[in-house]
Amino acid sequence: MDQTLFIVGINHRSAAVALRERLAFAEDEIAPALGRLRESSPAVLEAALISTCNRVEVVGVASDTARAADETLEFLAADRSVEQAAFADVVYRSVGRDAARHLFRVGASLDSMVVGEPQILGQLKTAYAQASEARTVGPILHRAFHKAFAVAKHVRQGTLIGHGAVSISSVAVALAGQIFDTLKDKTVMLMGAGKMAELTARQLNALGIESLLITSRTFDHAVALARELDGTAVPYDNYKPYLKMVDVLIGSVASTRPVLGPEDFESVLRERRYRPMFLIDMGVPRNFDERLNELQNVYLYDIDDLGALVKRSLGDRQREAEKAEQIVELELESFLKWLAGLDLTPTIKDIRYSVERLRDVELGRHRGWLAQLEPAVRERVELLTHGLTNKLLHRILSGLKHQDDNTPDAAFAAEVARRLLGAEPGSHGAAFDEDADDDDETGTD
Amino acid sequence: MPMVTLWLLPALACYALSAALFVFDRLSGRTKATGYAVAILGAGVVLHAFDLTARALQAGNIPVANFAQALSFLAWLTALAGLLMIVRLKLGVIGAFVAPAVTLALGAASLTMSSGHVILPAPLRSVWLPIHVTLAILGYTMFVLAASVSIAYLAYESRLKSKRAIGPANEGAPSLEKLDRINYRLLGWGFIMLSLAIVSGAIWADARWGHFWSWEPIESWSLAIWVLYAGLLESRLTIGWRGKRAAALTLVLFSLLVGSFVGVNLIFPGKHGGSFG
Repeated sequence: MDQTLFIVGINHRSAAVALRERLAFAEDEIAPALGRLRESSPAVLEAALISTCNRVEVVGVASDTARAADETLEFLAADRSVEQAAFADVVYRSVGRDAARHLFRVGASLDSMVVGEPQILGQLKTAYAQASEARTVGPILHRAFHKAFAVAKHVRQGTLIGHGAVSISSVAVALAGQIFDTLKDKTVMLMGAGKMAELTARQLNALGIESLLITSRTFDHAVALARELDGTAVPYDNYKPYLKMVDVLIGSVASTRPVLGPEDFESVLRERRYRPMFLIDMGVPRNFDERLNELQNVYLYDIDDLGALVKRSLGDRQREAEKAEQIVELELESFLKWLAGLDLTPTIKDIRYSVERLRDVELGRHRGWLAQLEPAVRERVELLTHGLTNKLLHRILSGLKHQDDNTPDAAFAAEVARRLLGAEPGSHGAAFDEDADDDDETGTD
Repeated sequence: MPMVTLWLLPALACYALSAALFVFDRLSGRTKATGYAVAILGAGVVLHAFDLTARALQAGNIPVANFAQALSFLAWLTALAGLLMIVRLKLGVIGAFVAPAVTLALGAASLTMSSGHVILPAPLRSVWLPIHVTLAILGYTMFVLAASVSIAYLAYESRLKSKRAIGPANEGAPSLEKLDRINYRLLGWGFIMLSLAIVSGAIWADARWGHFWSWEPIESWSLAIWVLYAGLLESRLTIGWRGKRAAALTLVLFSLLVGSFVGVNLIFPGKHGGSFG
């Protein structure tokens, strides 16, 4: 009795990627691994395995959670051929309330490296699907995971946790969307070979733009990238005539002095009739003179400006995360109430089923004799048996109910009652519905 | 006729409430109340339409017999066109300007609005009245909306220039390019309406008084404003004055327009009979 959740694992906070990758499981390895875990770890009653870039965790159900956690860690070490000592210090374990909270926070993207990132929910759903496939999901994990999905949904809907751009390149893309109504008719020019600048150009290109111009001191590099991205390479010593076509200019040229200043833009702006230009300066030292921002309809953002906006978005998400934590706590209470009630619910179902069955069997045995009776009399007899079993059930169930619901005593008493009545556990075959409410099965008629 | 004013105050109340909600959303940087604000603005437009219809039935012509009525008609057209823009173009942001402007206009109109029988001055009883006045008021409506779009443009522009343009308040905000394009279109349509109003007014004057133009203050002002709007549109086409400069000039012209609309009509009513041209 007294089954509860436990979690053991490592994540981006506790362990470096060098260790995380050694313990990680590929998606198609997970279901077989869970099968091996079930074989090797008798204390683990239910289990699911979450393996992403940022975490490797086993969520399980056990009565003896300490033993189950030990067995799980032994399994992980053996299965991934990593000596336990290598990760003993960075592994976290939690049990019961803390384990459930952890699972819910993971699902709600509160435990993610970038809080609010949307991928984790899908990864959690995959983990659940694989555990189902491996048949290591029982009623408690089933309920816990579905609750985690519900919490995640609730958090997405109730907070702005997923809002705002949180990387340099995505901020740049978001800003382009604030200046331009569409990128379909826009020309982007990438200057230089910086990684971040290239990533930004790739993102803009993927959104669908009119044309991409690439210029670089190393012309071969520009040509290679242009070929890959279906753009046009422009020689670095003669790129200025193209500026008048450019709507988004991304700079990451290695240069000690700004490569473009206001004097370069005077005629450019006039020729483009002051259509807006978005200048993204990802060079350090900066490529574009900061006075360019003062020009009519020119918007200049350097790497620090973009970084500050990323930081602000992250700050906004952090504030939203506080709201999300409250949602998690609320849902946690409801889950724990259900978990505590669970110790009685199946037992009571077993008892009820067993007694009902006894009546059916007895009535069946006397079917022949009963059939000879007057219908009215036969009905009386059936009512009598019904009354008897109901009275008996009522006494047992209300007796159990008077115990304090959430104590081991209540669970123990229920278990004793079940055994005395010879009720087989789970004999009624009814699965727990995820939507079933906390204590609707503990009442009597 | 108490029936007439029965609709006016509820309409005004709707506009005021809608304005408060739009402004609240702008100040709080969220869009929680915008949905309600739009619905209430719509209710105001419907109630206001009842009021205008009742007055029109009573007058036997469009209800523009005096300055208050004309102002009320302008407020209604602006509310209706603003509502369409907010819904169709997803421009909730202009509500914070349009709804207060409409509230102010109708509030001012209702202070001087008589609920009794208004007699249309004899010279104005003509088929030209609805044509000339509706065109003029439609033109003004476009200019009010262009001003509201320009204010939104300048607000977003300054945020982008000062690098504060990311955050929940900006998600779903219209792009500068879109606002600039809408501003240009509104100015274009407003200019066409104003031109047609001037032409129809001249034809009417010729038919009634035998001369096209009498250099009344309202006529001179309208002509001056027509020239200025023509210049604004021309500068965009030739030298490319778009974006911030176009938005700022739109607001300058709009304040001149308000000056001529209010000032000239109240101070030098002339032949336009306390109404406007």
